[in-house]
Amino acid sequence: MIELTNVTKKFGNKIAVNNFSLHIEKGSLTIFIGPSGCGKTTTLRMINKLTPFDKGNIIVNDTPINDVNPVELRRNIGYVIQEIGLFPHLTVFENVAIVPRLLKWEQKKIERRIEEILELVTLNQSFAQKYPLQLSGGEKQRVGLARALAAEPEILLMDEPFGAIDPINRLKLQDSFLEIQEEIKKTIVFVTHDINEAIKLGDKIAIINEGNLIQYDNVSKILSDPANEFVENLLGQDRNIKALSLKKAKDYVLKDGFITVLDTESHESVEKKMKEKNIKIAFALDENNHLKSRFVLEKATDTKKQKFIYNPAPWIIERQNNINEALSKMLEAGEKQLPVVNRKKEFVGIIKLSNIFEEVNKKTNIS
Amino acid sequence: MGFYISSRPNIAKYVINVASIMMTIPSLALYGVMVVAFAPFKLGLGIVPSISAITIYSLLPITRNTYLALNQVKPGMIEAARGIGMSKNQILWKIKIPLSIPVIMSGIRIAVVMGVSVATYASLIAAGGLGYFIFAGIGRANLTMVLVGAILISALGIGVNYILLKVEDWITPKGLKVKR
Repeated sequence: MIELTNVTKKFGNKIAVNNFSLHIEKGSLTIFIGPSGCGKTTTLRMINKLTPFDKGNIIVNDTPINDVNPVELRRNIGYVIQEIGLFPHLTVFENVAIVPRLLKWEQKKIERRIEEILELVTLNQSFAQKYPLQLSGGEKQRVGLARALAAEPEILLMDEPFGAIDPINRLKLQDSFLEIQEEIKKTIVFVTHDINEAIKLGDKIAIINEGNLIQYDNVSKILSDPANEFVENLLGQDRNIKALSLKKAKDYVLKDGFITVLDTESHESVEKKMKEKNIKIAFALDENNHLKSRFVLEKATDTKKQKFIYNPAPWIIERQNNINEALSKMLEAGEKQLPVVNRKKEFVGIIKLSNIFEEVNKKTNIS
Repeated sequence: MGFYISSRPNIAKYVINVASIMMTIPSLALYGVMVVAFAPFKLGLGIVPSISAITIYSLLPITRNTYLALNQVKPGMIEAARGIGMSKNQILWKIKIPLSIPVIMSGIRIAVVMGVSVATYASLIAAGGLGYFIFAGIGRANLTMVLVGAILISALGIGVNYILLKVEDWITPKGLKVKR
């Protein structure tokens, strides 16, 4: 999909990118990571010709980019930057519609597409008529992503897109970004300097230092087999725990061991159902499949009678949470099992502590 | 001119300097220069030299504000516009200019209001106008006449300023005015 061959770039006498060769596969999310000034952003910007390169060749979609007009090339490659760069004088709709309009799409098609794309990035349709100044940082970033995806490019270039977002919202954005990527399967090149972000998001990671490509491999391979000391230091001491974090909550979702009821149902009827089926846990959902509350049947220690507990705001785990996050939520909640929801907050199942431990055991047995 | 120099910093330096020097010439002297300059064409007195003087005087604020406005657009904005495939012209017309309207307009406003006060002197080179009341009043030691002239000129300046403020508000893109 994207092929860099012996690409070199100098700024004055300083070599910014030294003889890079790299093949980026279709539909994969490739991370460029390294300290600031290592050449990762320069490499990214060479792919859409924002920065010209001195030597070598870059092929995008079987065509050398030197043969393509830069403006045409960029219209077919989505681009998201840290500053986002939403245009404040245009509404969200107009911002997202820019590239389709540049490509002269029909108005009807544009309207349909924008409705679709806002839904994809989980923004309410009412956002279309808002202006960027009325949005929060996370919302702006979603609009930025929507704008980059609007004209259905096959390739997406992202330069530290979550860099300016506070840590809590960054985690949320990463989760929903992964869900979106699972759905759209674009070829994405993503620049970051945050190793946790790289491990969480990447299919493959390219580790870059002082203009040289140090290691380019699958995330698990890099974690288990760092090429040199630089990579080891970048990964940190806890790389075994990080390796565990490659597993996602979605890999452990169970579809049984609980029942679901409508949130309009009376508590008595829920209790009765649970006792009939001998099931200890029930979730109440609304008509949109959104999780509203939880019911638990627990054995009280003193009376040996079953206690019926109603929990109006249960802890939840998101599908894209990695196992570290899921574990930490369970510890914090003091629960052995927690419900799992997807990006649209729809209930998908539960996750059990015992299952995760089984996996960890398997791992330690192998090693 | 502001548009032209906005992407040419080397030329811009000179243009802004020349315009600044023009501003340091006392306005009365500038009328004198204009009278001499237009004398060979038999236009030495009256409307033509007056309008020329006022135009030169207005140049600086308009040029400078236009130049500054186009250059204060955030680099991230331009970067994003280039990155999604807008051409240079599209970036100028669809991004830079709309974002610059408030600053460009305030330059125009300053120039017009200054023009109104500078125009007072035009009566000295036989172009008439409200300045006539002031200078005639001074000549005759008639305070009322001076005041009438001064108040009318102030009122004109304030009125024009108000109208231009409305125009500015009207043509500024809505997205730049919304509150969170």
